[in-house]
Amino acid sequence: MNARTPAADLGGLVARRTAGQSLEAPFYVGEDFFGLDVEAVFARHWLFVAAEAELPEPGDYVTVNVGPYSVIVVRDDDEAVQAFHNVCRHRGARILNEERGSVGNIVCGYHRWTYGVDGKLLHAESQAPGFDPSCFGLRSVHVRSVAGLVFICLAEEPPADFDEVAARIARYIEPHNLRQAKVATQIDLVENGNWKLTMENNRECYHCGGHPELQCSLFPIYGYAEEDIPPVLRPAYERYLKADDEARGTYESLGLPYEAIEELDTRTTGFRIQREPLDLAGESFTEDGTAACRRLLADFPTGRLGRLSLHMQPNAWFHFMADHAITFSVIPLAADRTLVRTTWLVHPDAVEGVDYDLDTLTRVWTATNDQDAVFVARAQQGVTSPAYLPGPYSPTEYQVEAFVNWYVTRLRAHLEQ
Amino acid sequence: MITESSAPAWSDGPLVCRQVHDLTPDVRTFLLAPTEPRLFRHDPGQFLTLTLDIDGSPVERCYTISSPPTRPQLAAITVKRTPGGLVSNWLHDHLTPGTMLRARGPLGLFSLARHPAQKYLLLSAGSGVTPMMSMTRTLYDLAHPADVVFVHSARSPDDIIFRRELDLIAATAPGIRVAHVGGDSGRLNPATLRQFAPDLHQREVFSCGPAGFMDAVRSMLADEGFDLARLHEESFSFDQPLAGAATARAGGAFKVEFTRSRRTVECDADTPVLAAASRAGLSLPASCAQGMCGTCKTTLLAGSVEMRHNGGIRPREIERNKILLCCAKPLEDLVIEA
Repeated sequence: MNARTPAADLGGLVARRTAGQSLEAPFYVGEDFFGLDVEAVFARHWLFVAAEAELPEPGDYVTVNVGPYSVIVVRDDDEAVQAFHNVCRHRGARILNEERGSVGNIVCGYHRWTYGVDGKLLHAESQAPGFDPSCFGLRSVHVRSVAGLVFICLAEEPPADFDEVAARIARYIEPHNLRQAKVATQIDLVENGNWKLTMENNRECYHCGGHPELQCSLFPIYGYAEEDIPPVLRPAYERYLKADDEARGTYESLGLPYEAIEELDTRTTGFRIQREPLDLAGESFTEDGTAACRRLLADFPTGRLGRLSLHMQPNAWFHFMADHAITFSVIPLAADRTLVRTTWLVHPDAVEGVDYDLDTLTRVWTATNDQDAVFVARAQQGVTSPAYLPGPYSPTEYQVEAFVNWYVTRLRAHLEQ
Repeated sequence: MITESSAPAWSDGPLVCRQVHDLTPDVRTFLLAPTEPRLFRHDPGQFLTLTLDIDGSPVERCYTISSPPTRPQLAAITVKRTPGGLVSNWLHDHLTPGTMLRARGPLGLFSLARHPAQKYLLLSAGSGVTPMMSMTRTLYDLAHPADVVFVHSARSPDDIIFRRELDLIAATAPGIRVAHVGGDSGRLNPATLRQFAPDLHQREVFSCGPAGFMDAVRSMLADEGFDLARLHEESFSFDQPLAGAATARAGGAFKVEFTRSRRTVECDADTPVLAAASRAGLSLPASCAQGMCGTCKTTLLAGSVEMRHNGGIRPREIERNKILLCCAKPLEDLVIEA
C-alpha cells in the first residue's frame, strides 16, 4: 500500500474498509482521496464556518476556502447572514481576497463590478446597452445560522435532514445567547496531518493523558463505559458520578436540556450533543475549573453549568459553558495539512482585563490544541510509512469508529451516484 | 528671442513675474516667464496650477492661461481681486515684476483644440472670460478662418475684461464677432442667444463662468433643442459669481485641499468633490461615481460634507471620518487625505 494508489482503486478501498479499524493509508496520504473528500464530503455536507459573532455588523464578512471553492459569508443590511461564491460574474476573478473584513458593497478589485451584500449586481461599468444586471448576481451558497453558529453547504441540494438536526441542537445551545456574544479571540492552527486524523483525534479521550491542562477540568473518562474504566481513572470516575448527579439537578431546575443525543453515523448530518459536568469548580475549562470570565454569557443563576458539548460531522466541535463558548472549525488544506480554527466567545459587554484575562481564558485549549497538533503530525508521519497497517479501535474510541463509519458511508453514497 | 525648435516645452518649475497689467479696477493680468529659456506649449483654454507660500502655508490655485499658445514665451494669468480671497489678494498685493513662484501645467481639456469646428459660440461670464480670451487670441493670431461668436456677460461696462482688445479683434478679424451683455443691456437670455447666433445648432459651444451662469446656459441650450454633447464647460477657478449671471449663487466655492496630491481645488456646495477634483485635472481612484463601489473612499481630515451614498460606505466608517468623494458635497472648506 502506498500513496500512489491509482484513482481507480478509490472505490475498491472504500468498499473493503474493515469496521473497527483505522483506515488504510491512501485515505490519509493520497492526493486523489483529498480531492474525493472535498467533492464527496466538504462540497456536499453542512460545514461549520464561523460564529455569527465574527460578523457583528452589516458588511462584515469572512471568506472560507475549501479545496477549489471560496465562499463569502457576509452579514447583509437586514442583519441576516448570507453566503456567496467568491467568484465575480464578469470573468471569474476572486472578489474578496482577505480572510475577513468589512465592506460597504462587495466590489471586485479587477474591474470594479459592485454587488450588494445581498449579492445583487449594482454596478458594472461600460456594459453594452442590452446588459441586464439582474442576470449577474453573485451565486449564492446555502447558509444557516443555528443559535449563532453559521453553517454553509456547497451542494446544490443540501442534506435535507439539517433542519431537524438544527432544531434539536438549537434547544440546547440557545440558552447560551451566542447570537449576542462577542469574539474574545480566535486562533488558527495548521496541523500537519490529514483532516480525518484531526477529527479522529478529537473523538476520543484515550490519549487525554497527553493533555495535562485539559485534564484539570475535563473528566478524562470521556468515551469510557463503566466497565472499561482503568484503575488509574477510578477516582476521577467517582468524582464524575457525584458531579453528574448534582449537575442533573441544576439542569433540571433551570430547564436546560442535557440528555445525550448520539447520532454520529446513523444520518447524513451526523452529530452528538450532551450537557455534562466539569471537574473541580465545575464552571469552565481552567486549571481549577473556575469561570474564566466574570460576566456570564447569559443571565444564569449559577456559573456551575459544566460543558454543553457538540460534535458535528464532518468538521466541527464546540463547548458551551456558563461563562464562555469555544468553537472549533476544521478545514482541509491539503492531504497532509489541516486548518483548525478556534474561537472564544464571551458576553458582548465583557471587558478584557476587567471581566476576563485573555491568557486565562485561552490557556487550556491553546495548550490542548498544540498538543493535539503534535499527535496528529505523528499520526500522519506514521501512516505515511510503507510499514503502516490499520489497527483496532479500543471500545473507548467508539466515536472514532462512528466518525470513520459516517465518512465511509458518505463516500459510498457518493460513489454509487 | 528663442525659436520653438531650440527649447523644450515647459511643463513645470519656477516662473518669474515679468509685468503686471491693470485691466479693470480689480482685475490684473500677470505675465509670467520661465527662469530658463523655454516655451509654453499648451492648448488655448488650459490652465496651470500655482503653488504659493502664503504666510508660511503652501497653497495651490488653478488659473487659466489667458495668453494664447501663439505667444509661447510668456504665460499670462488674469486674476480678479476677491474680497476676502486669500490667493487673489495675495497675487494682487505681492506678485510684482521679479517675484518668483512655482507652477505646474498645462492641464485641462477645455479647449477648442480638442473640438475642431467651422463655427464656435463662446459664452462667458465674469472671469470665465479668460479661457475664451486665450482661444480667441489664438484664432486671431493664426488668422484662422473659423466663424466665432463671443458673448460675454459682465456686471457693468466697467467690469468688462479685455474690452478694448476684444473691440480691436472684432474690428480687424473678419470671422470674429464680440458682444457684451449685462448691466443695463440685460442678461443673456434665449432671445439674445438667438439674436447673436441664429445658426446656434451649427456651432460648437464653450461655456465658462460661475456655476449659476453655466447652469442657465445649459438649460437654455437644452430648451433650444441643442445637442448637449457639443456643449463644453469649465467651472473651476472663479472666485465669485457675478451679478450678470442668471442664477448665480451667493457664497461661492469652498476650498478642498488634498494632502497627498498636494493640490487644492475649489468646489461649490452642489458639486461632488470628485467631480470638482476631476475638473481641476486631478484624477483620483474612482469607479461607479454613484456611491456604490467605494473605490473613492478616503478620510476627511477637516471640514464636513453632505453625502448621499448608495451603500458603498458603512455608518461606522462615516463615524471614522471616511467619505466617498463621488457623492460628498462640501458644507465648508475641506482637507482630504487623498
